[in-house]
This record gives sequence, C-alpha cells and structure tokens, in this order.
Amino acid sequence: MFVGIDIGSSSSKVAILNENKELVGLAVENLGTGTNGIQIVLDKAFTQAGVTPEDIKYTVVTGYGRMTYEGADTQITEISCHAKGTAFFNCDAKTIIDIGGQDAKVIKIDAAGNVSNFNMNEKCAAGTGRFLEVMARVLDCKLGDLSDLAKASKKDVSISSVCTVFAESEVISCLSAGESISDVAKGAHRAVARRVAGMYNRVSGEPPVVMTGGVALNADMITCLSDELKTTVTPVSHPQLAGAVGAAVFAYEKYHKAKK
Amino acid sequence: MADYKALIAQLTAVAATPGKSVAAVIKETGKEAFGCFPLHTPEELVYAAGYIPVGMWGGRTEIKLADKYLQGFCCTIIKANIEMGLNGTYKDLKGVIIPCICDTLKCVSEDWIYACPQIPVIPIAYPMQRKIDGAIEYMVEEFRHVQAKLEEISGRKITDEQIEAAFAIYEDYRQAMREFVEVAADYPLTIDAKTRHLIIKAAYFMDKAKYTAIVKDIIAELKQLPKEEAKIKVVVSGLVSEPVEVLDILTENGIAIVADDLSQASRKFRTPARAEGTALEKMAGIIADQKGDTFLYEPEKYKGSMLIDQYKAKKADGIIYFQMKFCDPEEFDFPIVKKEMEEAGIPLLYLEVDQQIDSFEQLRTRIQSFAEIL
Repeated sequence: MFVGIDIGSSSSKVAILNENKELVGLAVENLGTGTNGIQIVLDKAFTQAGVTPEDIKYTVVTGYGRMTYEGADTQITEISCHAKGTAFFNCDAKTIIDIGGQDAKVIKIDAAGNVSNFNMNEKCAAGTGRFLEVMARVLDCKLGDLSDLAKASKKDVSISSVCTVFAESEVISCLSAGESISDVAKGAHRAVARRVAGMYNRVSGEPPVVMTGGVALNADMITCLSDELKTTVTPVSHPQLAGAVGAAVFAYEKYHKAKK
Repeated sequence: MADYKALIAQLTAVAATPGKSVAAVIKETGKEAFGCFPLHTPEELVYAAGYIPVGMWGGRTEIKLADKYLQGFCCTIIKANIEMGLNGTYKDLKGVIIPCICDTLKCVSEDWIYACPQIPVIPIAYPMQRKIDGAIEYMVEEFRHVQAKLEEISGRKITDEQIEAAFAIYEDYRQAMREFVEVAADYPLTIDAKTRHLIIKAAYFMDKAKYTAIVKDIIAELKQLPKEEAKIKVVVSGLVSEPVEVLDILTENGIAIVADDLSQASRKFRTPARAEGTALEKMAGIIADQKGDTFLYEPEKYKGSMLIDQYKAKKADGIIYFQMKFCDPEEFDFPIVKKEMEEAGIPLLYLEVDQQIDSFEQLRTRIQSFAEIL
C-alpha cells in the first residue's frame, strides 16, 4: 500500500493506493496543520482501505504542513502533487487551478504531463478559500451554502478589493446599502475569479483548464472562473483530494523505482 | 597564505554583521565611514577622500519611523535605509551619497535632508542618454561636484593622484570579482548560494584593498581544489538576492548560483574600464558601457539576451528573478524578460521578496516546486 498525505492549512487529506495503483482509501478531515487532524484522517483512510500501518510500503507527504510531518518517507510540494493527482484522474489538462484554504495556485502542464510553470498567491489571503470563509462569516451563512446563494444572484454587485480585510469592509457596506446576500456572494466569487485570472495570465495559462482544491467543491466558483477565463473550467474527481492522490502516486512510483 | 575556509569565514562574518564590521574597520584603519546608497555610487571618490565607503543595502529592521517619509509601496531596501538613518543605526556615518537613479531614490535624496539632518547628503544624478560624448562630460562634472562636497565635509583636499590611486584599487577589486564569480561557479558546494552572496557583500563593509587581497587568496586556494558539481544550477537576476534565508532554501533544494545579474553583485563589477582617459572619465565610461542594467536607460534591453547567454555558458538549469518589493524598474523589466525566457524555453522562477520577511514557507514551496520541475 502507498499513502499520500496532504496537510493543508485548514484540512488534512489522505489517499491510499494498492499494488495495482487503485485508490482504496480516501479521507478528508477539516483540521489542518498543527492539529491532530492528520491522525484522525489517517485512521479513517486506513479503516476504509482495511489496512494497518504495517501494510504501508511508502508514504509521501505534501501541503503546507509537509515540512513538520515526520511519518513520511519523503515530502514533495503540493504543486507537483496536484499535477500528478490530476494526471491520475486522466484529465487532459494544460492548466490546473488549485484553490485551497490558504493558497491559490495556477499550474501549467506541458505535453508530457509535467509541471512547466506555476504561480501562487502571495502570503495575503486574497483569492483563496480563506477569503471565501471570511465572506461566508460576514454573510452569516455556511461556507458550503455560498454556492447556492450566489447562484440565486440577480444583480451584479462588484467587490472591487482584492484584499480580504478591505473586501470584508466592502461587503458590509454593500449589505448596509441593501444589496442582497445572494448578489454579494456572487460578487465575492467574481472577486476571487478575477484574482485567479491574473495568475492564470501570468503563467500564460491555456485550456483545457481543470480545478483542484477544496474551493472546487463550490459550483458557482467554477462558473465564475469559467466566465472570467472565457473557457470551461472542470473540477477533477475528488478535487479536495487531488494533492493527496498525487502524493500517493509519487509514493507508488518512488517505491517501485527504488526497487529496480 | 591562510586556509581558504578561514578566509571565507572571515568574509561571511563581515557581511553577516555589518555594524560590527564597520566599527572594526574604523578602529583598525583610523578612518571614518561614509555611506553609499545603491546604485553605481562613485565609491572611488569616497575612498580617495580618506573615508571607508560603506554600502547601504537596507537590512532587517522593523519599519516604524520611515513611514513618515515613504509610502508602503516604496522600495523596501531604501525604506530600511531611512529607518536606520532615523533610528540611529547610521549615526557614525560622516555623510551619505544618494544616486538619484530611480523614483524612490530621487525622493529620498530630499527626504534624507529632513529625516537625518545630522548626516549630510550628497546627491548625484546620472544622464539618461549615457552613451553620448556629452554624457561623459556631464558625469565627470557630477563626480567633480561630489568631490567638492566630500572636500567640504572632510575638510581635506582630494588630489587627482588620490583619485587615480583609488580608481586603481577599485579596478583591481572589480577584476578580482569578475574572476571570483567565474571560479565560484566551479565550486558550487564550497561556495553555496549564501556563501557566495556573503563573500560578495562583505566588500561593502571593508577596506577595498584588504578585501581584494583576501578574495584573490580565496580564488587561488579554490583553484587548487577538484571542481564540484551542483545538482541544480541557476543564474539569478535582480537588485539583491536577499534575504539570506532564501539562499539557504536554495541550497536545501540542491540549487547553486553559477552566475548572477544582480545590482549588489555582478552589475557592480562586470563592466571593464576603458583603457584611455582620467580616472573620472573611466568611472563615467563604466556607466556608459554597462549593458543590461535595469537601472540604466537602454532602449535595446539587452538584459534578457544576456541572461540567456549566461544560462547557456554555465549550462544552467534555470533562472531565478529576485523581485525586491517594490522595485519598479525591476518590475517593469520582468514582462520583457519573461517573454524572452518563454521563447527560449528557459525555466524561470519569479520570487517576490523583501528583507523583512519572517515566514518563508510560501517561498520554500515556490523554490522546491521549481527544483522539482528542473
């Protein structure tokens, strides 16, 4: 068995591959680096796969918490792992958009399926899942409800600021001015999409475009990104787990390469 | 000849603790220190005036006082200089020279008068059309103006012989540094990214003649060693390759710097002086002849093609563009360089950095990802 662990800023993910390179375990826990989320999610995935730690031949860790996790054989960045995970799902992608809790990344893939270029946000939360978490709190809704709310939007409300803190003030002003929660939610999605579009242009992104990371679970965000990039953006299977799956594929490959 | 490891340790220690190093050189030589802002500052004149020229390349400090003079989006190196002028770090400097070479520096040459009135400032302006004959004449006049101000501040006359002697010492330094960066590329494990940076930076806090002698000894000693091979070789471009923690991350990922296009490093010493003319004319000639420098007007924009040449010559694996926040001239150049690198199929990593970074995890991910691509 081969384990891929993705320790993000707000969630931990595990993927397990068997000897036939088939996914036999997939688990997510909404607790990120610095918490016991990784142990919880490992237990979940092991139970799902029906394996014990003794069955594991190789482990690769990725994500924001990769440097501090000591239980892996090696660590690889989430940029390489998301590309590998996307390839595993047989996506014919030339560009991957990965929006997680703390980072937004645009990854360009070459003809051989390797990462040829990438761009990621600076340390501010603009254009990330954290931005949407803050917006959900201000709009007094659950993060998972943002998509349905935004889909009901009937009017364009522009959230112009790319800074999460300023955007929060801007959203409060919009609500005070009587704008609907749905319209403001849509405006927040568009603000993230514009930010990501800038990164997409910077790496000279090109279609087909797929999306990974937890924010890909937000259907309206996919719509806004498609509108902004003027191409269809498709979420990969298990988008939140793409990094962990990629790490598991690396674990599989590294183990077999070492055996040769 | 001393052990090369001890010589390297000596220089890296100088660069790692500039304040202590400058105090030591003042004590050792009996000379006073004179500050030299970036870039293309006529250090030779400061040296000829009997001062120790001290490079002012910012540093780690908490920006509190400088906000009174500079907006949040100004070059972080220059902002740190103002902060350190205000908080007393530069109290021992007898004056500063500020070249008005970018928008921020133009403003700072005025700001300094009010921010640090106890430290006299000598501004110097360079011509945009630097290759015409009149530009040489103009620059010589500017140097004469700086000379006069230095004489006024020091109370000492600077003779042409002293300027010629100082220029010879600096030419010797520049030649030694050109050789050093070539030789260092053959020893990327001994001279890793941080060591390379600190050795080059030490020149800003020492007597140049003494520094050059040490560098020559290091070169001679290195040449005796078997050549080394780095896992990944890169060429770096930008204003400076700081903070040094980033260089440690390069080394952790097996990345060595085999050539540079940095203002703090090769742009300072890569252009040979002309054979003819006085020292001041030769100093002007170096600025006129400099190619591919972000801060000197050049409609042909040789920077990208020069980087490609360095990449090929050193058989490098990629190029890293150090973008110091918020250096406009470097930012303006980036789209041009990026396009040229894409056309040439050269991997390029854009690293936005500033000297006050506390958290390096995002930069670590970028650098590691770049290494994984290569």
